[in-house]
Amino acid sequence: MKKKIIILVILSITIFVLSLFMGPRVINPFELDGIEKEILFSIRLPRVMVAVLMGIALGASGAVLQGILRNPLADPYILGISSGASLSAALGLLSGLYIFGRFTIPLSAFIGASVVSIVVGAFGWKRGGLWPERLLLAGVGLSFLFHAALMLLMSISTDEGLRRAVLWIFGDLSIADWSLIPYGFVFIITGFIISISRAKALNALILGDELAHSLGFSVQRERMLLFVSIAFMTAASVSLGGIIGFIGLLMPHIARFLIGADSRVLIPASAICGGAFLCIADLIGKSIMPPMEIPSGIVTALIGSPYFLYLLRRRDVLSI
Amino acid sequence: MRNDKKEEFFIFGSLTSERKWYILSYLLLLVTSQLSLLTAVYAEPPDRILSLAPSTTEILFAMGLGDRIVGVTNFCDYPGEAKKKPKIGGMSNPSLEAVILLKPDIVIMTTDGNPKEFEERLRSLKIKTYVFKARRLSELPQGIRDMGLALGVKERAETLAKEIEDAINKFKVRGQESAPPHPPLSKGGQRGGKKVLFIIWPEPLIVAGPGTAIDDAITLLDGENIASKAKVPYPKYSIEEIIHQAPDVIFIGKGHIDMKKVSSGLLKRIAVVPAVKNGAVFYISDSLYRLGPRVIEGIEEMAKYLQ
Repeated sequence: MKKKIIILVILSITIFVLSLFMGPRVINPFELDGIEKEILFSIRLPRVMVAVLMGIALGASGAVLQGILRNPLADPYILGISSGASLSAALGLLSGLYIFGRFTIPLSAFIGASVVSIVVGAFGWKRGGLWPERLLLAGVGLSFLFHAALMLLMSISTDEGLRRAVLWIFGDLSIADWSLIPYGFVFIITGFIISISRAKALNALILGDELAHSLGFSVQRERMLLFVSIAFMTAASVSLGGIIGFIGLLMPHIARFLIGADSRVLIPASAICGGAFLCIADLIGKSIMPPMEIPSGIVTALIGSPYFLYLLRRRDVLSI
Repeated sequence: MRNDKKEEFFIFGSLTSERKWYILSYLLLLVTSQLSLLTAVYAEPPDRILSLAPSTTEILFAMGLGDRIVGVTNFCDYPGEAKKKPKIGGMSNPSLEAVILLKPDIVIMTTDGNPKEFEERLRSLKIKTYVFKARRLSELPQGIRDMGLALGVKERAETLAKEIEDAINKFKVRGQESAPPHPPLSKGGQRGGKKVLFIIWPEPLIVAGPGTAIDDAITLLDGENIASKAKVPYPKYSIEEIIHQAPDVIFIGKGHIDMKKVSSGLLKRIAVVPAVKNGAVFYISDSLYRLGPRVIEGIEEMAKYLQ
């Protein structure tokens, strides 16, 4: 297993480097001219960093969420966090204030994601703890509600800007620049560290609440901590680059297929796979028909779904 | 017209026997009703016009048909009076009920934004439609003439079309005079003019590509739209490519919100291109977004910065 992890890490670093120097035009790292340097450091590097951070956040929170909900279909977006973020970003724009300048969209998306996490948590809360089924159903219900409200806003709005900003929400890494990365990094790494430190408890939770309790874990406390870690990672990733589908659902399954279901390795492996996969998807999206770009969210789903279906045929991966 | 019909009716009725009178009047009714239908189509200008696109609304107002417009889309905001007209929904999703309730004699549509099925629905409900087909700057004058003919305002359409044609020709001539005779095409196949980029929305980056009035205006003014090789009219453009192609001038369309704030991030990232370095970034009105009478202003505004 160690060997597999080392291979995975090496592969991911290769992909990271490749997506820095490949693209609509290949950059030779040994003969950089002024323009190429500019492109490398102020366009490609932040973009690849955002891809890696988002991939890590989505991959890890997908693995955690499938565990705490004991549901192989769970995806960080199922909790309504993403649709709440889109709605709040749209409202932030519609208020017409544009208070925070170009930070308006990411910031209002982040606020929306955080508020929705708390609301979902409140709905999932009963008898002094979070209950997986309640959490899941509350998330599904809320995301329908937010989605409908967003559609309503879009259909009654005559503001072209709003329509374009909503485009952004659906997965676009081209806006990545250095200014947001430090904030995103702090939230995502915090969430990631919490989730890894609770991985053992997650293993127990997957077996069932009673068993986890008898193994000596405080079920509700662990679940709460894991939920907070997901909220951190998902909220930060939405405000970094919008909603990029499929990574949160697919990566845990691929990681499980590659190295097994132990959460202690599964969470980091799923995170690494997520980062690498989003890098590849973005690389393809921007290189396939230059000078146009295809939003990364579309590419992840286009190449992710067939592989997912292939895995499904090959073995029983839809388990946690 | 209708009075004539009544008179004829009485003359025939008093002259003939009852049976004859009956047949004759029936035939006459049939003919006159058909005739009146025909004349309503080709001679009598339609009284109640409904416009399904902001561009055609502007053209209708410019042809002096403003008081005959009974309905417009939610996006029709120019000229000011257009905002006061009853609204029938968006361009891509107009409300059929709202359209019918306004009892239009004719519905003006475009091939650029209105769904084709909607025209079919209207026709199946016996509502007359006129489809405005011009999509390029060069097609605009003829498009206006054709529409004026259909609406019975041939002269006014001709005046407006001529005005636009003159403006276009003026810049054609001016462009040829001011620029030295075109140098032979350089290796990249580029012309001598400035390299221009027109940004519609900065994040995500959407620019004006081939087949748009903006692209036509840039070409008319002897500029080279760096996005004209993209495959769609409004491509989502690569920022790296902008840096490579190094535009000399960047236009940013003014929207409803403060575009300076919205685009500051993008401009910072493409700070190395000549346009940003030399301060040749201009915020320009949205006159060229719509293929209507205001394209003249749009071209003139752009010309100020390009020549």
